[in-house]
Parts: sequence; structure tokens; C-alpha cells
Amino acid sequence: MAELILQALYSGLLNGGVYALMAIGLALSFGTMRVINLAHGELVLLAAYMAYVVESRLDLSPLAAIPLAMAVACAGSALVYLLVARIRKNRELNSLMLSFAIGIIITNAVLLIWSGDIHSTGSVSLQEAVQLGSLYSMRSELYGFLASLVLVTLLWQWLAKSWYGRAVRAVSSQRDAAKLMGINPAKTELISFLVAGLLAGCAGVALYSSSVIQPSLGHALTVKAFIITVLAGVGSVPGVLAASVLLGITEALTVTLWSSAVQELAGMLLFLLVLFVLPNGLFGAARRRA
Amino acid sequence: MKQRLLWTTLAAAALSLPTFAEEFAVGVQIPLTGAQARAGTGMYEGIQTAAELFNKGNAKHKIKLAVVDDESNPAKAVSAVEKLAAQGVVAFVGGFASNIIGPASDASNKLGLVYMTAGGVDNDLTRRGYKTFFRVNNTRGYEKAVVTLLGELGVKSVSVVYSTKEATADLAKDLEAALGPKGIKVSMHAFDPAITDFKPIINKIKLQDKPEVIFMSAYENDYVGIIRAAKVLKPEVKAVIGVWSLATAKMAKDFPDLMPNVYGTSMLPHPVEFKQAEGRLFAETYKRLFNKEPDYQAQFGYVKGQLLFEAIARSADAGTLKKGGLADELRKTNRDTLIGRVTFDASGDNPNFQQRIGQHQAGGKIVIVSPKNEASGVAVFPGLPW
Repeated sequence: MAELILQALYSGLLNGGVYALMAIGLALSFGTMRVINLAHGELVLLAAYMAYVVESRLDLSPLAAIPLAMAVACAGSALVYLLVARIRKNRELNSLMLSFAIGIIITNAVLLIWSGDIHSTGSVSLQEAVQLGSLYSMRSELYGFLASLVLVTLLWQWLAKSWYGRAVRAVSSQRDAAKLMGINPAKTELISFLVAGLLAGCAGVALYSSSVIQPSLGHALTVKAFIITVLAGVGSVPGVLAASVLLGITEALTVTLWSSAVQELAGMLLFLLVLFVLPNGLFGAARRRA
Repeated sequence: MKQRLLWTTLAAAALSLPTFAEEFAVGVQIPLTGAQARAGTGMYEGIQTAAELFNKGNAKHKIKLAVVDDESNPAKAVSAVEKLAAQGVVAFVGGFASNIIGPASDASNKLGLVYMTAGGVDNDLTRRGYKTFFRVNNTRGYEKAVVTLLGELGVKSVSVVYSTKEATADLAKDLEAALGPKGIKVSMHAFDPAITDFKPIINKIKLQDKPEVIFMSAYENDYVGIIRAAKVLKPEVKAVIGVWSLATAKMAKDFPDLMPNVYGTSMLPHPVEFKQAEGRLFAETYKRLFNKEPDYQAQFGYVKGQLLFEAIARSADAGTLKKGGLADELRKTNRDTLIGRVTFDASGDNPNFQQRIGQHQAGGKIVIVSPKNEASGVAVFPGLPW
């Protein structure tokens, strides 16, 4: 039993890393603009399809697709921002509908271009089993987790130390006050969406390298990213990583100790439980108490 | 004299006119986009092949297909059925996935129109007792195929990994009930269709179940996840077996490293090979129409279309088509087809149906290995993708 639980913890940890990559972009744009980009999962999916294109057409490793995936996801994210920014009335609600519609358009475009077939990497190297003692994973899962750690750390540092990062936090905290301090809120919001696009690009490549993609997947990715964002507490970068890992481990342990059929249910129960005890999310509440 | 000449000319002209065949519109509600697009497209191509061959061989009756894409969506399938009914179709053929076929055939039953399918094997579909619902395949046929294969391989223990979707869960539970009395130890592992990481399940199978065989009652994306997880954890099993959409040329081409030695249900070997003249005619026509080899989805589409079109012709000849006689004509069906003998019981099910099992073998080939009397080659057993 101990071996089973250890493997579940390890699998959950690695999955959590990929979840964090998917969620951090959404958390960033949500934190800055208070806009929930419901097309975020579709942008991740679009990036995953770039990895598929590079692998299947150019016969290169999916990892070689990272620049293209980032560029496409960035362009998509910027487009979402430019459209959302045009909304003058009731932005919170109307942006939901707008980004949801963009998500549907992306899903159908993917379907038209690449059909309804499932795709996943054929790279033997990425699928190879990596053994750490009695723990197993695919190489791609390990890469995804490490990439997630690096990117989350970089983002955290960027937000804490760079001028633009601090501008993002300032706009997120008090838009009008930030403007008085000489920050251009529109430009700052665009930057946060571009960074979210970069992260979505990496998440897409990680997803394609370790899992199976199909056109209808985008919505499920958005939902998972949204759950993690709320679970973490709005605006908390380490919170996203912690919430992702917690969700990944909860899911894996549920499969091991109970049944895989209730894995998604367990994730939702965790979500409800945390919100019940800590209404501002894991790290949001901690900050408020401090 | 002039009048007689005129009448004679008119009579001769009437006799020399070609006889116009009576045309019947058949509604095709099928997923051409969305998650089930691949299977739906294959089925539709088979239906088109059946219409082509029927129209060529029948001077009296012609079939005209009216198609609406249900986008793999149950609500859109219902509106597709209603839209096609408004266009005056005499029956429906199509559908893929039990959760879509259920509401679509509810709608056709309310309209009093026959619904013929080969895409939904959920037991509940025939439990409704509709007089208008017919299908050529069912869970029982898949279950028989797997039980036969396990018997032929002499397997004593199986871990069943199954999606909680209706058809896959039905098959897994029926299989559990069928294998128990044969002395085969069965361990069940249900999974939510949304999950992508199967390592925790495979690890349980590896460390706790220790079976001879892993059986997957699932869909394409799940198969890839399960086999990948198994390749990482390498449980000591002798075979990995699945069901629909697995033993296909597309899977062999898309996932060459995951498919070797994996078993799945398939009516056809790859490269396609037909023993009967009817099969060869179907394959030739299909190739002419779509410039590719048929797969088993097209074969199912062909059979359901063929049986429906023949029944329409018989019903039209008997003058019962517009009086609800099509269902009675279909119930009289009793013939050999490309998927074996087809008859329909009172619930519209085909009790004769039994799938075959194919195995991915060297060179991207799919060899039919079970039942032995239908086999086109010998099973590689033990045989694994890793």
C-alpha cells in the first residue's frame, strides 16, 4: 500500500505542475483586469496543436514548437484583450460571454483545420519511463513539472521585482491610483495578457507532450484552470502552484484509495471545502489575515 | 385517319418513355464534426456506399439521402431528426454514441418514423421497447467477442478498466457477469471520462490485481492514456485488449509505438480483405467513391443502410410504407450481411451479432485472430506493446 500511495503522491505532484502551467496565465489576467478569460483553455489547446503541427509536419520534437506555440497563444491572448477592452458597460459579465464565444470559435476552427481526431506525441524520448527509486513517470511529465517550477518562479520574480511586474500588481490593486502614478493601465493589462499567452504556449506544449489532445478539450482546461485560480486566491502566484499540486495529489489519491470514477468529484469537493473554510482561497485568506 | 395516327404516335411515345423510379428520402443524422466526427464520417461513407449500390441495382426505387450533422451533440441530434422529418424523410439511418442516439431515436419514435443505427450499443436503447428502433450491433456482441477471445487464449484473470460512460460501463459490467461463472477472476476499475493520468489505476493493477490481461472498455483517447501508463509502469500482464475504435489502421498509423500486439474489436483485417463477392463489391464501390479503403465503421454504415433501403423497397412494393409498414418489413429481415446474419427481435435488436477481434501486428497490419473460425491469422500471445 505504501508503494501505491507514494506513486500516487508523485503522479499527483507532476500533474499538479502541468495544472499550474495551465492555470497561471488565467490567474494573471484575472488578477490584473478582473476578467475571466473563458477562452484560456482553448488558447492552451491551440498551442498544443502547434506542437502537433511541428511534430507531424516538420518531424521535430514537440519541444521545438515552444516559440511557435508561445507566439500563437500570445496573439490569441492579445486578441482576447483587445476585444474585451472595447467593452464599455458591465465588463465583468460581458467579457465572460465574449471570451466564451471566442473559445467556441477557436474550438470549431481547430475542428475544421485538424478534424476531430485525437493527437498526442509520438516522440519515444518524451514517452520514455523515468524511474526515481520505486517511482515512475514519463520523461515529458518530469519536464512539464520542472518547466512549471521555473516559469512560476520567473513570473513571481517578474511581478515582484520588474517595473512592469509591479505595474501589473498596481493596476490589479487600484487601477485609477496606478494611472495617477504614471502607469498606463491599458498597456499594463495588455502586457499581462501577453504574459498569460506565453504561459499558455508552454502549457500547450506540455499538454501535448504528456497527454492526448482533441478539439473539445479546451473547455475542460478552462474549467480546471478556473478552479485552481479561485482555489489559490486571486492574485497569488505561489497560491496557484500550491493549489495545482493540492488538486493533482487529491485526484491521484482518490484513484488509489477509492475509485477513479470519483476523481473529478473529489477535485470539486476539495474546491468547495476550501472555499467554505477560506472564502478568499488558500493564499488570499492568508494574506488578508496577515 | 389523322386521329388514329395521333393516338398511335402518343401511345408509342408513352411506351418509349423511360420508367421513372419512385424516390424515397432517407434522413441521415450523424456526427460529422465534434468528438465523434471520425466514427460518424466513416459510418456516413458506408451509408452513401449502400445508397449508391442500391440505386444502381434497383430500377423501381431510388434512395435520396438527406444529411444533417448533429455535431456530436444530443440536443442538435434531436433538432436534426425534427428538421429531416419536416423535409419528408421516410426513415432515419445514422447516429453515433448511445447518449446521442437515445434522444434522437426518442424524437423519431414520437414522429412514428423508423430509426436504424449501428452506433449505439447501450442496453437501455432497446429496453425502451420502441417499435421503430432497430440496430444491427449491441453490447452482447462485443461481450461475446471478448469472452470468446479470453477463452481461446486460456486467460484466468482480467483487470477491467472502464469509462463510466453508458456503453463502456454496460460492456464492462456485462463482461464481469459473463466471466465470473467461467472461473475467470475479474477486477473492476471504473474511471471518469475526464481523466488523463491512468498511472494510479495501472499501478493498482500492477501491485494488487496482478492479472494476466488488461481489458479496456473505453474510447480512443483513453486507450492512449492507459497504454502509455502501462508502458511506464510495465505490469506483468500477457495482453492488452480493448474494444471499439482501437484495432483500426488510423490508430496503427497515429500511434505506432503504442499499438503493437494490442487487441481490439474489428470486423475487418487491415489491409482489407473480403472473402464474399458482396464484400468485394462494397470495397470496390467505396474505394471508387472515397478513394480509400473502407474501415469497419464504413462497413457498419453500409450494412445498416442496405437493410433499411431494402425494407423501404419491400414496404413500398407492398403499399405499406406510408401506413407505418416499414418497421414490420424490417422485422422480417433475415439475411447474411458483411457483419454476419441479421435478424431483429421484438425490441429491434440483432441477437445474432458477434464482433470479431483483431490484433495490431508487425508492419501496421491488423489480423483477425478471434473467433478462430473467422481468423485471418494467429494471435501473438503473450504479446505487449512494450
